[in-house]
Amino acid sequence: MVEAIAMAHGWEMRQDERVVVIGQDVGANGGVFRATAGLQERFGKDRVQDTPLAEAMIAGMAVGMSAQGLKPVAEIQFMGFLYPALDQIVNHMSRMRYRTRGRLTCPVVMRMPHGGGIHAPEHHSESTETMLCHVPGIRVVCPSSPARAYGLLLAAIRDPDPVVFLEPVRLYRAMRQEVVDDGRALPLDKAFILREGTDVTIVTWGATTIETLRAVAELDKEGVSAEVIDLATLSPIDSATILASVAKTGRLVIVHEAARNVGVGAEIAAIVAEHALYDLQAPIRRVAGFDTVMPLFKLENDYIPSVQRIVDAVQLTLAD
Amino acid sequence: MGTFRLPDLGEGLAEAEIVAWHVKVGDRVAVDQPMVSVETAKAVVEVPAPFTGTISALHGAAGDIIPTGAPLIDFDDGTVVGHMPPTSVEEFVESATIGNGGGTSARGRALPVARALAKRLGVDLAGIAGTGRGGLVTLDDVLQSAHVPASPPAITKLAAQAGIQPQPLRGARRAMAQTMTLARDQIALSTVCDDADIDAWKDPSDYMLRLMRAIAGACRAEPALNAWYDPADNCRVLLKHIDLGVAVDTADGLLVPVIRDIANKSPAALGAALIGHKNAAHQRTTPAEDLRDFTLILSNFGTLAGRYATPQVVPPAVAILGAGKVRRDAVVVGDAIAARRRMPLSLSFDHRCVTGGEACRFLAAVIADLQEAE
Repeated sequence: MVEAIAMAHGWEMRQDERVVVIGQDVGANGGVFRATAGLQERFGKDRVQDTPLAEAMIAGMAVGMSAQGLKPVAEIQFMGFLYPALDQIVNHMSRMRYRTRGRLTCPVVMRMPHGGGIHAPEHHSESTETMLCHVPGIRVVCPSSPARAYGLLLAAIRDPDPVVFLEPVRLYRAMRQEVVDDGRALPLDKAFILREGTDVTIVTWGATTIETLRAVAELDKEGVSAEVIDLATLSPIDSATILASVAKTGRLVIVHEAARNVGVGAEIAAIVAEHALYDLQAPIRRVAGFDTVMPLFKLENDYIPSVQRIVDAVQLTLAD
Repeated sequence: MGTFRLPDLGEGLAEAEIVAWHVKVGDRVAVDQPMVSVETAKAVVEVPAPFTGTISALHGAAGDIIPTGAPLIDFDDGTVVGHMPPTSVEEFVESATIGNGGGTSARGRALPVARALAKRLGVDLAGIAGTGRGGLVTLDDVLQSAHVPASPPAITKLAAQAGIQPQPLRGARRAMAQTMTLARDQIALSTVCDDADIDAWKDPSDYMLRLMRAIAGACRAEPALNAWYDPADNCRVLLKHIDLGVAVDTADGLLVPVIRDIANKSPAALGAALIGHKNAAHQRTTPAEDLRDFTLILSNFGTLAGRYATPQVVPPAVAILGAGKVRRDAVVVGDAIAARRRMPLSLSFDHRCVTGGEACRFLAAVIADLQEAE
């Protein structure tokens, strides 16, 4: 996936000279996960700029660059280091279009690794997407495969409004997939149906897509036909796809790595309760991280929703 | 990659027989395209494709019996995933399609509470045609479909078997059935009972006139019981005049003619009105206006039998006083036991509108008046 991300950067920088890359170590080093490897050599230090370790400054710089006609792609090294930049994101990036009555938009992509599972130290395994999804004017995207990382990152860079692009660290090198470097974007604001099914709908995103698909493979052996939806764009939510699926299956399980309390799963559950309550055959269930800080690596696999927890939740839902 | 199993065809049948295949291995089918005709015990049904895909295997041939839930068709989505093993996670990732919504409900839509009730009663929601908005299954729909014990055996049928002619309820009897059903469903009935010691009465037979006088006095002491209550408008009307409904037992049923303004009529006028109403009731000549707009009811059932009762309040009135059979009781008078004539009283009131305190004050005033010698 990380190579697909670098590839998307390369394609769009070649096509559109307004695209610039900024962040700590993105240049000479090629990024902490090598997501921008080779870009500075190809496009020069003006378009691939190393910055100090100062997230508020990185985000503020991106706002200023975008106001001057550039299309910055800014990397935050880990989601846990995003918080100093929230002031710039919430108070400026998200409302530039509103504040200028549409005269200026803010075509920024804020990229950052998302979630845990790679035995990293504290602050390096956060999945706090819900904080961003709550902010109007910010689009939040989280791919779950190399192909979708490529297509969605291209769409995010091309979009005239700010996108926070969450890259599941566990997936950076977890899977091999041939991705054609053809510059074809995938649609934002659309969920992806990874597997069609008739008995239960499972909505997930990011790295837990993998545990979900493994759980579904287990359930398949028991004759359970689960439909898996990769939300992909976490805000705004593609309600239509979820509601259509729930109308078909009558059951919903939501899986996310982030803490349960006020997670994006709660919003999905609310949407379905508001619009499809009468279609539901069973209560909605959530499989989520726990309402604690993300533990250090010894316990992180207990925090991240496991295949077994997902299987159990689906079976409980089917038993109702 | 997927196996389509013979679905429950919504008729609660355990199996179906394949009549004819409309597709073959290798065919690309679109969602909803008919794939196979199957015959259940009830009908021949076309089974549509559940999704778009390529068929990799058909289970069974024409004439075969397939149990519900058994594999019917295997699908292969046709995606070539290179070196990935066919059941790998990565294959599923590859086969993503972009969602577009717009589907319709594939199963019965039901109120959650109706769904829960259906489960408890063992009712299959799929077999219920919902009567709610957009076919929504409601609680009533579930109850009507439930296998609850059938209604009591048809009485008319039993009567015919016994050679007895049923009597349709007409007139007063029919009105009583309707009024009492309404009263039972609407009123929060409470009844309080006590006795009035009437041993001192100089005229021991004048029950009705004494009761009417006692009621008039009690209405002065506690006006809350001479009232009309309207729950829809959430209001009560405390009435100044007392129009007393008097229950009259007739061969044709219960009639309640109304004696108007009893507080301002002489005993002679009240006595005459009472006799007039009773005669009219028995002759079925009571005009309709004499049966309307009572503000309180008196039922002196004690002339027949019975001490206490739970008389039924009839809306919009809020109270009814019942007087039971007068007899001599052994009661404590001072420190001795004495035989005294006592009248048992049962006061029912609508507790939505009348407090227990108001009812008891009213009853106490009735008793106090009745215990006067004259």
